[in-house]
Amino acid sequence: MDDLLTDFIAETRETLEALAGEIVAWEADPEDRTRLDAIFRFVHTVKGSCGFLDLPRLQRLSHSAEDVLAEVRSGTRAPDAALVSAVLAIIDRIGELTDALEANETLPEGEDEFLIAALVQGNHTASDAVDADQAVVAKINVLPATPPTRAVSRSIRLPVELLDRMMAGVSDMVLARNELSRLLRTGGTTSAVDVAFERLSLCVGEMRDSITRTRMSRIDTLFSVLPRMVRDLTAELGKSVKLEVDGGDVELDREMIEMIRDPLTHIVRNALDHGIEKPEERRKAGKPETGRLRIGARQSANQILIEVIDDGRGIDAERVVRKAVTAGLVSSEQAATMNWSHKLNLIFEPGLSTADQVTGVSGRGVGMDVVRANIERIGGTVDIDSTPGQGLRLSLRVPLTLTIIPALTVSAGGTHFAIPRSAIDELVRPKGDQVRIERIGGELVAFIRGVRLPVVDLGRFMGLAEEANPALLVVLRAGGGERYALGVEAVHDHEELVVKPAAPALMASGVYAGTTLPDNSRPMLLLDVAGIAAVASVGLAQSVVDEKPAARRKAEATLPTLLFRDLDGVTRGVRLALVERIEDVPADSVVVTGGSQMLPLQGRLTTLHAAAALPKGQRLRVLRLSDGEAALAYAIDQVIDVIELRGELTPTPVAGPVAGVVLHDGAPIEMLDPYWLFTSVMVAPANDDSPLCLVADSHDPWAREVLAPLLGAAGYRVHFAGEPTDDPISVVVTTGSAPEGIDAPVVRLRGTPEGSGDQSIYRYDRDGLLRALRQHVAGGK
Amino acid sequence: MALYLIARIADEMIALPATEIGSVVEVDQIAAVPRVARHIAGLFALRSRVLTVIDTRASLELGTIDRAGEKTAIVVECESHSYALLVDEVEDVIEAGEPEPCPALLAASWRRAAKGTIRHGENAILLVDPAALVAGPEPLAA
Repeated sequence: MDDLLTDFIAETRETLEALAGEIVAWEADPEDRTRLDAIFRFVHTVKGSCGFLDLPRLQRLSHSAEDVLAEVRSGTRAPDAALVSAVLAIIDRIGELTDALEANETLPEGEDEFLIAALVQGNHTASDAVDADQAVVAKINVLPATPPTRAVSRSIRLPVELLDRMMAGVSDMVLARNELSRLLRTGGTTSAVDVAFERLSLCVGEMRDSITRTRMSRIDTLFSVLPRMVRDLTAELGKSVKLEVDGGDVELDREMIEMIRDPLTHIVRNALDHGIEKPEERRKAGKPETGRLRIGARQSANQILIEVIDDGRGIDAERVVRKAVTAGLVSSEQAATMNWSHKLNLIFEPGLSTADQVTGVSGRGVGMDVVRANIERIGGTVDIDSTPGQGLRLSLRVPLTLTIIPALTVSAGGTHFAIPRSAIDELVRPKGDQVRIERIGGELVAFIRGVRLPVVDLGRFMGLAEEANPALLVVLRAGGGERYALGVEAVHDHEELVVKPAAPALMASGVYAGTTLPDNSRPMLLLDVAGIAAVASVGLAQSVVDEKPAARRKAEATLPTLLFRDLDGVTRGVRLALVERIEDVPADSVVVTGGSQMLPLQGRLTTLHAAAALPKGQRLRVLRLSDGEAALAYAIDQVIDVIELRGELTPTPVAGPVAGVVLHDGAPIEMLDPYWLFTSVMVAPANDDSPLCLVADSHDPWAREVLAPLLGAAGYRVHFAGEPTDDPISVVVTTGSAPEGIDAPVVRLRGTPEGSGDQSIYRYDRDGLLRALRQHVAGGK
Repeated sequence: MALYLIARIADEMIALPATEIGSVVEVDQIAAVPRVARHIAGLFALRSRVLTVIDTRASLELGTIDRAGEKTAIVVECESHSYALLVDEVEDVIEAGEPEPCPALLAASWRRAAKGTIRHGENAILLVDPAALVAGPEPLAA
């Protein structure tokens, strides 16, 4: 095909797509001159090009449309609904012919005349207009995807294969860079080589980012067909719907857009067909006659969130579960234990149809299982929420890029596998009461903080190990709200992996999502988390979610949190309720006394806590934290934001200023531990009446550096064995035996967390130690 | 006249059209892949590409190729995936004329894979379809 023709096709397509929204808007307000002009210009350009490209059919069609539009522009003809429909039909036909041109096919001639005839005023009846619409609706065309850039000015058209080659090349470059990095680490290097490598690494990283962006396309290419589709469908269905589209400028990978296209179309059709009611029904329900359909996209960390919200009749989860029981998909016992969200998610099960009528528009309403399967195939999730009578919200979450995925490497039976980080909820070690594994009915089940989850032992599942004996559990989200625990031998790295599609023979197993080549150059498989769940038959029956957490989550809205960058560069959060004020203080007002830093705040010396050395400079930013009684200052770098925190806290194993980590928008945020911070503050400075502690291990550096200050901060006076004192000793703290001749209760410390049955206290069990001291001192008095 | 690569699988000589072959490589470390068909030997990293390794003996239901040590593999591409076909030996590259039809009597597994025979001197060598070797004994699930 010669270049001129290719250009014509590309240009026509691009303009057609840009026009789609304009046309519908024009119909709503046919007096709008600018839109009318835009449409006129389009058909005019097409007509012109057709002339010298020798495309008689296109020329005829565009010429007739142009004539009619010229009449409207000059005011000799009024644009009514019939005319608009006729013009739209012609424009559609132009699009189809353009497609056919490119594919070297031909379309039947007959309908052209019909369309042209429809343009002539008075030459048709109302039913003819509807027929024309039907003909168009019957071929609901999804306008073809266009090249990535939409900027009006400097842009360029590229063959898609070239972009793919560039992307593959850059992925290889990232791998080669990783390999070089590994060799440098193991083989030794000089500082000059290090510097050069850093520069190379930086360049590779930037190049990767730019190339990834070339594959990005605005989600508008998906959204732009929606106004037209909604208009046509609502006309056919006799409904009235207002469409609101938001976030069209969000960008995602071209490939991803193609994979979302069908599911999104299906969801919208469902909403219009089954969701939003007819005007009379809405009126009776006390709703405005025009329904609302809101479609929005926004980026959130490394995911894109697309929401489709309607204010239609919603889905009654009870009805769904009843149908599921009737259809034999769930037993009535299982149904009784499900919560609302679980029941709603049944809508995604194949074989379930709650549509009372089969319609030609969206079919039997059973496509939701396909929708979810398609979204999950690209590593995304679909969530559903509904209030019967009020509406439905569908949330699609898709990863930002297809090929470079942050993943966790695990091993089982000596073989390494990769798990996409987006699927991981948490990592736990079966130990103690909080996390335990039991064998129930021959299968392993985990109990994690009271919630029961089925366990799939990766080693045994893969046939790499005889016994299921997981050392660690990776709690995974299998999509559709289901979770399960994958038992693994060990967890290794957390890295960004270049994932390539796996050969069909590998995909046939149903448990792999792709292949990857990590730093060590040994090929590794990326696990398909949902696939494993399906193959291992980890079904609805087994993931019984404890009711309380869900209920608690509903009641306990979200936690307002102050997000800030700490002095050591780490992003941390603190409960907003604890922050009294944020102050800037002069840096030289900090005094160091008794080993800790203090700050005058509002006339009082307040303990200052800092995660790193205080920055040099004139001013210091601090948060004044208070729990109503005690107060302390926490030095920070800068405040980032106030956010609503929704996640669960994963606690740190050791007590300290950080209580644990919460996931927010996919990124981990360390949360300050207010309890620890406040109790570490000097509450009551020791005075002469404070009880006296004798630390027996006077030569133990730990006792001097750690234990003594801790006791001092808790308000005790401290003496070391061997130092003379006249005061009565209230209590002795020792790791060994008590010194002779002292008549006082003894608190014995041990070095290991596990008890040895002698009432000793783990030396790092701060709370336990202080409690024991209090008891002994109180008992002694 | 066209070029063909001659390789030995078990006791049989086979020919592959040179145009369908990417390269011939030595394969030492194959990473095993659980839960796949028997003729999939695993994965092999060639520079920055991951190849799916096919045991051609298993594809033709002639047992398995001894995977110890270095083996020779023929790199082909099928439907934009790269495969390394493990063979017992790569013999030669020859020129031969148009392929002739297959002999009438062929074992079932060979019949699937053979596309014809080519004449080299006095011998007729079976011309094999790489895609059939990739597909293996059972047809791929639809």
